[in-house]
Amino acid sequence: MTSYISLPMYSANIDERMRLIAGKCVSCGQLAFPQRPVCTKCGGDQFEDTLLSGDGSLYTYSVVAGNGAPSEFDDEQTMTGDVLCGVVELKEGPRVMVRLADMEPEELEIGMKVRAVIRRLYDQEGIVRYGTKFVPA
Amino acid sequence: MVDVAVIGVGQTRYGMFPERTLKDLFHEAAINALNDVDKGLDPAAVEEAFIGTLSTGGAQLGNFAPLMMEAAGMVGASARHIENACASSGFAMRDAVAAIASGRARIAVAGGIEKMSDLPREKNRLWLGISGDVEWERLAGTNFAGIYAMMARRHMHEYGTKKKHITMAAVKNRNNALANPKAQFRAPLEIDRAMKTPNLASPLSFSDACGITDGASMVILCRADMAKEFTDQPVLVVGSGGASNYVAIHDRKSMTTLEGTKRAVQQAYEMAGISADDIDFAEVHDCFAIAELLAYEDLGFCKKGTAGKYIESGATARDGKRPVNNSGGLIAKGHPIGSTGTGQIYEVVNQLRGRADTAERQLKNVRYGLTQNVGGSGAAVAVHILKAAA
Ligand SMILES: [Zn+2]
Repeated sequence: MTSYISLPMYSANIDERMRLIAGKCVSCGQLAFPQRPVCTKCGGDQFEDTLLSGDGSLYTYSVVAGNGAPSEFDDEQTMTGDVLCGVVELKEGPRVMVRLADMEPEELEIGMKVRAVIRRLYDQEGIVRYGTKFVPA
Repeated sequence: MVDVAVIGVGQTRYGMFPERTLKDLFHEAAINALNDVDKGLDPAAVEEAFIGTLSTGGAQLGNFAPLMMEAAGMVGASARHIENACASSGFAMRDAVAAIASGRARIAVAGGIEKMSDLPREKNRLWLGISGDVEWERLAGTNFAGIYAMMARRHMHEYGTKKKHITMAAVKNRNNALANPKAQFRAPLEIDRAMKTPNLASPLSFSDACGITDGASMVILCRADMAKEFTDQPVLVVGSGGASNYVAIHDRKSMTTLEGTKRAVQQAYEMAGISADDIDFAEVHDCFAIAELLAYEDLGFCKKGTAGKYIESGATARDGKRPVNNSGGLIAKGHPIGSTGTGQIYEVVNQLRGRADTAERQLKNVRYGLTQNVGGSGAAVAVHILKAAA
């Protein structure tokens, strides 16, 4: 299959994906993560880079059954079966939809503490795509 | 504003039709709609056309609407493709209504189509996964089942809703479809068996989801003041609302409310001059069973957080106070993405005219019918309220 998220598109927000850099709204201080062009609170469009801690808690989650994930995850699903994903509420406030790792489906619980790590997401066009996954804190 | 009436509706059977082409399916829906105009309509009289589709695998993204109008035998109309993921033809309907209400057109059509069966499985998963905020939701390894599952998990957490309440919506809709000859899945389903189907994206199981479907539908509209030239039973479009919201659920304040639905239905209620209490029946966007429960709350049919109890009370069953998805809904009637919105209108118009295809599922004494069509996990929502003309 061809790429759905091209390398240029992927690399354009690599600071967010790999380094957890959020945008802090210059007018109201609200954090935007993932970064976005317009502040959801005040409508401002000027942001300063702010490093997030990577600590957070699980806001919601799902165990997506084999062959349910997008096709770029096929290799992994062949090996692991289910894909664990969820929304993490970061300590600093923003929520983000992420991959979960190093945990069994039955361990998942709303409110559990998690932290960010860099992991392989998948490879495509011969290039490994790394990104952030969340593991138990 | 000019009042708007529906004078004809058509829809193919929903299902998997590997032997049929896109053009063939759309042609059938169009002929079906033209034949439904009791006193006849010259296809050349159609001035504006709005055709909804997501993609059909990307094979015909350019000039899609003119090609479909060719298949419909309606060459010449001002036609365009409307795309808002699964809400494509709900918005096609909204634009067709606006074209007439504004006085620009006298006769317009809204249509929709999707042919999903011709794609290999991984291509289907590609196309089904491109309507979220792809850079983030997709990279989390989730599909729409997973996104709705996360919303379901929050609803269970915040309001004590049980997985059984969610699956009850799927079971109701599957059993409703038994009497609908145009529905895709017509096999009975009991709650105990549904609860035991394999995990799809927890807490949702396979029984809680819609499938892969081919189908097309068309609605023919005109100025209400000329409707009697075409039929003695026009149906009035008394309310129309549309709204959008953050595409990714992580950007929304609440994951248990579709703000788009609330905003769109508010517009529709205001335009119609009625409230939720006046709605006699509805076709809502149950792409996953949890979506029907969220719709009950967001449309104002029950209080926030009480959808589980509401479905348990039987209020939305065929013989309940306010039947919802009497057609079988997306889960059982089928969800050919681009056709779903106008397919819902097809159902509501037939019910209001007393023309349900089987007597068993004809609703009695219904005045106001509502449709809710959702794109993605709530990024775009179109709502319509229809009323039988006196
Ligand atoms: Zn701000």
